[in-house]
Amino acid sequence: MLTGNEIISTLEMLKNENLDVRTVTLGINLLDCAGADLNEVRRRVAERVMGLAGRLVPVCDRVGRKYGIPVVNKRIAVSPIAVVGAALSPAEMVELARTLDAAAREVNVDFIGGFSALVEKGMARGDRALIEAIPEALATTERVCASVNAASTRAGINMDALLQLGRTIKRAAELTAAHDGYACTKLCVFANIPEDMPFMAGAYLGIGEADAVINVGVSGPGVVKKAVDRALAARPDLDLGSLSELIKKTAYKVTRVGELIGREVAESLGIPFGVVDLSLAPTPNVGDSVGEIFQSLGLLAIGVPGTTAALALLNDAVKKGGAFASSRVGGMSGAFIPVSEDLNISEAARAGHLCIEKLEAITSVCSVGLDMVAIPGETSAETLTAIMADELAIGVVNNKTTATRLIPVPGKAAGDQAYFGGLMGHATIIPVNNAAGDNPFIRRGGFIPAPIHSLKN
Amino acid sequence: MNKAILSILGRDRPGIVATVARVLFEQSCNIENVSQAMLQAEFAGIFLVGLPNGLTAGELHRAIEGRLRPLGLQVHTKPCESAGEACAPPACEPFVITTRGPDRRGLVADISEVIARHGVNITNLQAFFKGGEAPGDNIMIYEVDVPASVDHQSFARDLQARAQSLHLDLSVQHRNIFEALHRI
Repeated sequence: MLTGNEIISTLEMLKNENLDVRTVTLGINLLDCAGADLNEVRRRVAERVMGLAGRLVPVCDRVGRKYGIPVVNKRIAVSPIAVVGAALSPAEMVELARTLDAAAREVNVDFIGGFSALVEKGMARGDRALIEAIPEALATTERVCASVNAASTRAGINMDALLQLGRTIKRAAELTAAHDGYACTKLCVFANIPEDMPFMAGAYLGIGEADAVINVGVSGPGVVKKAVDRALAARPDLDLGSLSELIKKTAYKVTRVGELIGREVAESLGIPFGVVDLSLAPTPNVGDSVGEIFQSLGLLAIGVPGTTAALALLNDAVKKGGAFASSRVGGMSGAFIPVSEDLNISEAARAGHLCIEKLEAITSVCSVGLDMVAIPGETSAETLTAIMADELAIGVVNNKTTATRLIPVPGKAAGDQAYFGGLMGHATIIPVNNAAGDNPFIRRGGFIPAPIHSLKN
Repeated sequence: MNKAILSILGRDRPGIVATVARVLFEQSCNIENVSQAMLQAEFAGIFLVGLPNGLTAGELHRAIEGRLRPLGLQVHTKPCESAGEACAPPACEPFVITTRGPDRRGLVADISEVIARHGVNITNLQAFFKGGEAPGDNIMIYEVDVPASVDHQSFARDLQARAQSLHLDLSVQHRNIFEALHRI
């Protein structure tokens, strides 16, 4: 018999705290769809995606109804297209992106990730073609997401690739200038990219993965914030150790929900269950913000002194609770701080509490990095490369994932507003030091070697 | 072995279970299942017991009533109709239906009518009515077994329609979600 308290507290989490499953992402292996004939590749890719994902959305909706827990986003992650389309030209890669977009629309998922390349140790023909295709592919499709892994702890940082990616981001922004450079919101540049992450824009299916897999992203930050608020209302003098315990227990609950629903979706589709990603992913809604957690903990806003310590506490507690709750934790599993996607973080940037340097600092204790950061349109490709190199260096040296999703908003300057719409939200453009200036260090190119502690064997 | 089921009702006080158990022990009865509940200040207990050879349910009733009546407790005793196991129930999934909303007479009757109409069995019901309009003050929690043959969508739709007409906020969720959230 369930207790009344167990039932009522669950309903509270659902109705007032945005308890949900943030994403169920179907990983689809496309490696055997590779070929040199574009039309043949397109046919195979479309058949595979629609064949495996045709029931994804109705099954997620049915399972969500059964438990009363909404599955907010249903998504697809495919094998890196730079490998699948290794024999294709850049123009053909764009056509393949359109095929993915059409398939995503057909099966009604909101994003399909995997227009991706892994270039940390060098670029192959397919990688070059894909990176060249990224601006047009993202500007002319609606649901395709791209990612490039340009660094790893084992390989170091591929600065040549980053230089090209700096130009790629500028071009993608220019092609979607009328929408504040929207195409850039669908491109992540990584160090140590996870092969099983369910969250966009960085999700792709790793080369070492099976034919298909279901990965799940747990609920958003609202549940954690409300738990902190409730506890502090009852006991305003709670110390940080007690708050960490509280967050840990809340993360446990959230993770259990994600795993329960993910496993049932996987079983219904006859596809193996992969991992639960513990990351707290915000949306541009009040009550669903990572930034609000900082305020609940007692900081004026995310970005003020104390922020890095608070995020270290939060991220650690979420991982400990989640790791206990799930038998398969994976993906990114760290707090997200996407500026435009989080109403509160966006406001902190507007009010001047949060600058790009502080964002970079706090990614030393979480993941993702400079995520959904709108910067002045005048920012040069070289400076973009330099910002990315700084962020990826944190990941490479600290043996963790970091990434950037930077949007140099065409024609707009620091302090202006950029509007991306929907889940991508809006943001105040934050200033960049030496945005359009010269940077000979970056132009040297080559590789920044792997750190000494990469030699583990 | 013959069995009997006893229900005991009365104002709660210390010693009710001890008295009942003592009489059952003296009568050489074996307690197989017990469930007790407290509703405000009232005690309700149900005892399913195995009877020794030669003792009838009627004899047990007389013995136990003689001891409980002076305590202001009422007892009802009935022989169990079948000593064997019940026939296998149909394949079911356990769900929890919860309602919150303004109090009025007939809420339990109205909601349980929809549940019964769909052939769904209530396995546990908890209801708290403090009265008034505050949704948190008036809660019904039905644990139910939904046979696999029941169309879940139409069951949920009918429940929602009835709840709406009563201005209740109703949710139907598989029981596993509560266990996943709260139990290790």
